[in-house]
Amino acid sequence: MKRRDFLGHVAAGSAVVTMPGFLTGCGVQPATTAADPTPVNPFMSWFGVDQAVVARVMSELTANGADAADLYFQHTRNNFLQLEDGIVSSAYSGIEQGVGLRVVIGDQTGYAFTEDLTLPSMLAAARTASAIASRGPAIAPQSYDPMAAGTLYSTTVPWSDVGIDRKLPLLKYVEAQARAMDPAVDRVSVYWNDADERVMIATLDGRLVTDHRPMTRVTVTVNAKKGDEVQSGYSNIAAREDIDWYTEERLKTMVREAVDRTMILFDARRPPAGEMPVILASGASGILLHEAIGHGMEADFNRKGTSIYSDMVGKKVAEPFVTVVDKATIPNERGALNYDDEGNAAGATTLVENGILRSYLHDEISAKQYGLAPTGSGRRESYRFAPMPRMSCTFMEAGPHTKDEIIEAVDRGIICETYTNGQVQIGAGDYTFYVKNGWLVEGGKVTAPIKDVNIIGNGPESLKRITMVADDARLDTGGWTCGKNGQRVPVSQGIPTVLVSSMTVGGENAG
Amino acid sequence: MPVDLKARAAQAVEMATRAGADDAWATASQSRDVEFEYRDGSLEKVKDTTSQNLALRIYADGRYSSHSTTDLNPDRLRDFVREAVAITGALEPDEYREITPPALFDGRPTQDLDLVDDTVATLDRDQRVVWCKALDATSRDHERVISATAGVYDGTARSASASSNGFTGEQQSTYCWFGSEVTLRDQGDKRASDWFYAGGAHVGDLPDAAGVGREALQRALVRLDSQKGPTRKATMVVDSRAAASLIGRLLRPATARSVQQGQSFWAGRIGEQSFSPALTIIDDPLIRRGLASRHYDSEGIAARALPIIEGGVVRNLYVDTYYGRKGDMTPTTGEPSNLRVATGDKPLAGLLADVGDGIYVTSWLGGNADGTTGDFSLGLRGHLIENGTVGAPVGEMNVTGNLVDLFARLATTGNDVYPYSSTLSPSLVFTDVDFSGA
Repeated sequence: MKRRDFLGHVAAGSAVVTMPGFLTGCGVQPATTAADPTPVNPFMSWFGVDQAVVARVMSELTANGADAADLYFQHTRNNFLQLEDGIVSSAYSGIEQGVGLRVVIGDQTGYAFTEDLTLPSMLAAARTASAIASRGPAIAPQSYDPMAAGTLYSTTVPWSDVGIDRKLPLLKYVEAQARAMDPAVDRVSVYWNDADERVMIATLDGRLVTDHRPMTRVTVTVNAKKGDEVQSGYSNIAAREDIDWYTEERLKTMVREAVDRTMILFDARRPPAGEMPVILASGASGILLHEAIGHGMEADFNRKGTSIYSDMVGKKVAEPFVTVVDKATIPNERGALNYDDEGNAAGATTLVENGILRSYLHDEISAKQYGLAPTGSGRRESYRFAPMPRMSCTFMEAGPHTKDEIIEAVDRGIICETYTNGQVQIGAGDYTFYVKNGWLVEGGKVTAPIKDVNIIGNGPESLKRITMVADDARLDTGGWTCGKNGQRVPVSQGIPTVLVSSMTVGGENAG
Repeated sequence: MPVDLKARAAQAVEMATRAGADDAWATASQSRDVEFEYRDGSLEKVKDTTSQNLALRIYADGRYSSHSTTDLNPDRLRDFVREAVAITGALEPDEYREITPPALFDGRPTQDLDLVDDTVATLDRDQRVVWCKALDATSRDHERVISATAGVYDGTARSASASSNGFTGEQQSTYCWFGSEVTLRDQGDKRASDWFYAGGAHVGDLPDAAGVGREALQRALVRLDSQKGPTRKATMVVDSRAAASLIGRLLRPATARSVQQGQSFWAGRIGEQSFSPALTIIDDPLIRRGLASRHYDSEGIAARALPIIEGGVVRNLYVDTYYGRKGDMTPTTGEPSNLRVATGDKPLAGLLADVGDGIYVTSWLGGNADGTTGDFSLGLRGHLIENGTVGAPVGEMNVTGNLVDLFARLATTGNDVYPYSSTLSPSLVFTDVDFSGA
């Protein structure tokens, strides 16, 4: 949709504006305004941050020496809408804009940011960050080489051009579907997020990367009532997509999941407590990989020697049918990235290949220490933070077994199906994930629903205990966010159906 | 030169009303934060930042929305505010949305909460490095240490709010924290690790840095040779440092929003004896030098001590203005501040001695709780309680149950309040808890 169409909606009085106010003079303008395409480099167009300014700030940042340095310009517009008690009566919009300035010298990092993108302000921040170093000036480039734009999540319409009038009906549709699916559904809330994030990264070695990173997520929560008993459940979907991604079918599938997950809770019980075989259903169970191995493979922990995986590269850690990959280049995935937040092309890193531990996830600092090329895994929450190694889309490849074979192989255990959260202790390797819905397996058959149990295991031990991997690998469609050292980044995860021969299941009747 | 935040907030309110808002509430804030991290004998990271933000709530034609921006360029800010008012107009009207009435913010407390220490602004690199070195030296003083990271974190936060119906207010606070994280070589590839940080609003309240580093090392050392704990029903002693997170899970659905939305086990409990008589929790925003002290909350509601639970009887919930109106509850505040959890008369050692046999929890790992039903399941690490003392370290365990049942079985509390948290809780003793492990 062109901006002209959008303004047409405004003129019709039905729509409004999530157009960026920073496009000077474009707040609410007559419909005769010509459409201007979103600029290739908004920072240059909107803030006058051209190559000369970048070069000047970079010189100041590296005036006391630098092995590496970068400027991370970011402008993010977030929109949030909430449907509750039948009406969409709450919205939030936010702009986060700033530039983070980093200088790295040896093992040392100096960091500053400013939200004021004027030259004096940026120079002051550069001086603050540069105080970590005390050598002579580094040679800062006078011109920058613009890198090719990525294509992993090229969308037709930026979120800034989509008015609330186009979003409202989708929230209403989700609510109506949820109510129609089961008469016990008592209350429905719908939460909408969309964001346009634009970054420009300039590096000391002369690269200039720009990336437009759209993101959207819809969550539906359901309360169901049977007599006096109330149960709540939810589901969400998220991707780097535009509004056309929200087809009726996709939304209906999400609502179906939320209603099913809620209704089953009336019959669900806690499983018995203790150690038992655990079947991880395909999709969201990728949380196992994220916690049991992913974090432990982030190279910042390993270069410090603090991860349980610090001395395991090249060793056998799992059966030959286990291959685990972190791949940022899956189009439109929530965890996808064209370039990481250090301006390196994002790619795929094989963590475990046929059971052998292969590679950590590196940012530039760790890659240099290990004498390797960066894996494009340097990420940050925003301009407020220095980057560190992070996951993107972490998944296990398909294996030789089938889901049915796996269930038949279990005499007494559980299936884990949906999750709310997980956590890991990097050093000890102990990790947990919280299972919202699952099933009891008895005598090779699925028997009864279970709910609300925490599962705890040890990363390397659990990898060894993956005794079966099915052929049904898939990525989860939910909107996962990973937190590390106070920084949150969007991620994706996936897995085929997997059997872990023994894990500790939280439960009742501990005797 | 410090920015006039009061003027900035007032201008934003004026912009909003000029753009068509019936009412508006603006908060302008600014902060400076400095972070020094020191790893294994050398300075690793210095971060020094100044941040600013403007947040705006808009009420127009029976409709409501909220907004925030870090872009304070005057022209773009005016466009942003205009757009914010336009967005509000596109929503559906909601009879329960109204700006905070003056009755809730008039006559709010003005006593000095002593939240600002001017010396924080004068801390220099040398002082921070001295602390880092002291932390580093003691936290690495053991042959098993693989790595230790010491950190010093300090800063100042200021905000000012203004509203179209007469609210003006300013709040400021400082903080200064330091501590270490220590990782030790354990059995095989395993590492034992823990951390300890101390801090508060005043530099003068900080303990000795070397002692803090020693404490971090000590906490990691007791984790060595940790084994998987047992599957059993047992008495659980939750350490005062770990208690804050458990209290937080209990209180999370204690809000008007959760109750009105039918997603809270707190519904219908006001005046009821729902928990153990040993449980008293007071929300107290007026503690001098308190980590979450304030004169007013983000809606401007006057701060006052609010009993949540007294002797196990539920007294109040967290009620903001919107869900208060919608759920027919009198507003208290929508946001927790400092929590004072009533203490018993014994130190931790005395509690453990009385328990004799059980599980002593020192930290949690993951887990969650269902706010509608109270069902919870949490990962944990800690120690066996053997012969009334701290025994072997255990981990890779879960505790599972229901929060209402659990806090009904709170047997007693200690007198050992953990000071470095806004939840001022002693150690807690619960009976008949389901543990799962080996």
